[in-house]
Amino acid sequence: MNRRRVFLLAVPGALAGCMKGQTRRLNVMNWGDYIGSTTIRDFEREFQVKVRYGTYENNEELFGKVMGGNSGWDVVFPTQNRVAPMRQLGLLAPLEHRRLPGLANLFARFQKPLWDPSLEWCVPYMWTTSGIAYNSRLYHAGAPESWKDLWDERARGKLTMLDDVDDVFGAALAKLGYAYNSANPEHLRRAQQEIITQKRLVRAYISTEARDQMVAGDVLVAQTFATTAQLAIDGNADVVYRHPKDAFAVYCDCGVILRESKRTELAHEFLNYTLRPDVSAKIAQTIRTATPNEKAFASLAASEQANATLYPASEVLDRAEWPLPLPPEIVRLRDRLWTEVKAG
Amino acid sequence: MHKLRAWFLLPARLVNFVCFVVPLCIVLAYSLLSRGVYGGVEQPWTFENYRRLVDPLYLGIFLRSFWIAGLATLLCLVLGFPLAWFIARSSVRRRTLYLNLVMIPFWTSFLVRTYAWMFLLRDTGLINTVLLATGIIAEPLPLLYNNGAVLLGLVYGYLPFLVLPVYTSLEKIDLSMMEAAADLGARPITAFWQVVVPMAKPGMRAGSILVFISCIGTYLTPDLLGGSKTIMIGNVVQNQFTAARDWPFGAACSLLLMGLVMLFLRSDEL
Repeated sequence: MNRRRVFLLAVPGALAGCMKGQTRRLNVMNWGDYIGSTTIRDFEREFQVKVRYGTYENNEELFGKVMGGNSGWDVVFPTQNRVAPMRQLGLLAPLEHRRLPGLANLFARFQKPLWDPSLEWCVPYMWTTSGIAYNSRLYHAGAPESWKDLWDERARGKLTMLDDVDDVFGAALAKLGYAYNSANPEHLRRAQQEIITQKRLVRAYISTEARDQMVAGDVLVAQTFATTAQLAIDGNADVVYRHPKDAFAVYCDCGVILRESKRTELAHEFLNYTLRPDVSAKIAQTIRTATPNEKAFASLAASEQANATLYPASEVLDRAEWPLPLPPEIVRLRDRLWTEVKAG
Repeated sequence: MHKLRAWFLLPARLVNFVCFVVPLCIVLAYSLLSRGVYGGVEQPWTFENYRRLVDPLYLGIFLRSFWIAGLATLLCLVLGFPLAWFIARSSVRRRTLYLNLVMIPFWTSFLVRTYAWMFLLRDTGLINTVLLATGIIAEPLPLLYNNGAVLLGLVYGYLPFLVLPVYTSLEKIDLSMMEAAADLGARPITAFWQVVVPMAKPGMRAGSILVFISCIGTYLTPDLLGGSKTIMIGNVVQNQFTAARDWPFGAACSLLLMGLVMLFLRSDEL
């Protein structure tokens, strides 16, 4: 018995690292198709660890999985408006900034974001906006400038909106001149009237499927996320993405460490790894979205930096709003109004 | 003897209790609680969730779901019965082949098959491309994102659930019964209606129930093929557990749906 233990200790570190029980393990769950092709493998090799990597399709699925507090995951990536709810439910572990020197690489905008001003709970990972994509060759109503152009009769049957209550109401609210994220019941009721008027023109409420249909030319104008639009542009050069002249939404997915995690040290190392300029740049290039990492941005080719779909100019980004959690009674009202739209 | 039977039934009873009775009780308890701020449930106990359901909005959605599921079931019967009859009357070797063909779609997931329909039905999809190329139509037909597409998806997806039980009851029918009916003066049509159909009824009933129940709870098909423009009660339930973060109301919705389906099937038996 004793001898075996001595033998084990004598095995070189590298070999021991490969043996079950000796390898440090980390459980990471992220959105589907939302990481570089070699990010995890590179991290495993460099840190001599084993990563179990899982995916989810939307924030609700993530919430459902981690809400019980014994999900078995260490690091997950909620959108910014789920960070406060997760914190209030006691699901998050506070971040130790001394273990996250890479935070200094972030754009100033993302070092003090509205939803977590000193990044106590989350590390900005990737971000995108919601705006208007259109086919510049086939859509004859002219370039859409603001949300009201999605109420144009000429868009009938060629228009899709996001299947997302935040953004459909957001667009209608912005069209009326209210805040994209308004929690005022009267504003929401007026927005509902706008949405009902628009429904006659809408071909479908779809989110990621809009990409293929924009590429194929079935859909000529759509409310989409910038990242979806970028993928459509990659497939069909006629597609153009615009940030509306009125307000639009900006979303940032953030890495967080779950409070249930027993591997917070390694979890910090992983989050810090995603903050490395080369790593962050590679992820953003693979999934065609925007990095909040200034040093990563600086390492991109000039043509990518100039891509206004993913990286709107600073004064454009100033018009953006961060959707934040709404009070429960407003969520309920909005859901009812949305159900009425769909049942109508 | 009786004791032995009880022992043999024990595993099934246990599974039924753990996987059906317990979850159902949890759903019932949830439906009587209040919503948590970010999902989940909280005290106090209340009937509020059921009260909110008595609302023309939700009752209309229930009605519409029953209508769509009923129509899909009827279409499945109309399409599935002749198919089951054809298979049951084929040679034994052919039968195995045909039954396998009916079941082959189950080898891939329902989601993938629904996406395949999207590719067929799109403006630039296979059907419209062929019709446009042959000059039959000048403009693409709006095949996707309407109630017709939802109905098509449901009938396509659940047809095997009807064909198999109907086949099982048809297969057992002795053809000499038809001959006997003919000898007694019945025309083939009459013999079919008065001899075959009554004997096929158990299979038709079982198949219809399977199709109807599968259809009424669906939420994927209206989302993907209907473009989320129409809503069925399954979508309402799903939405309460996700975006609306109102689990108790979602639980109440699903229990009411279960109750209504049970009542509906009961009334069918009477």
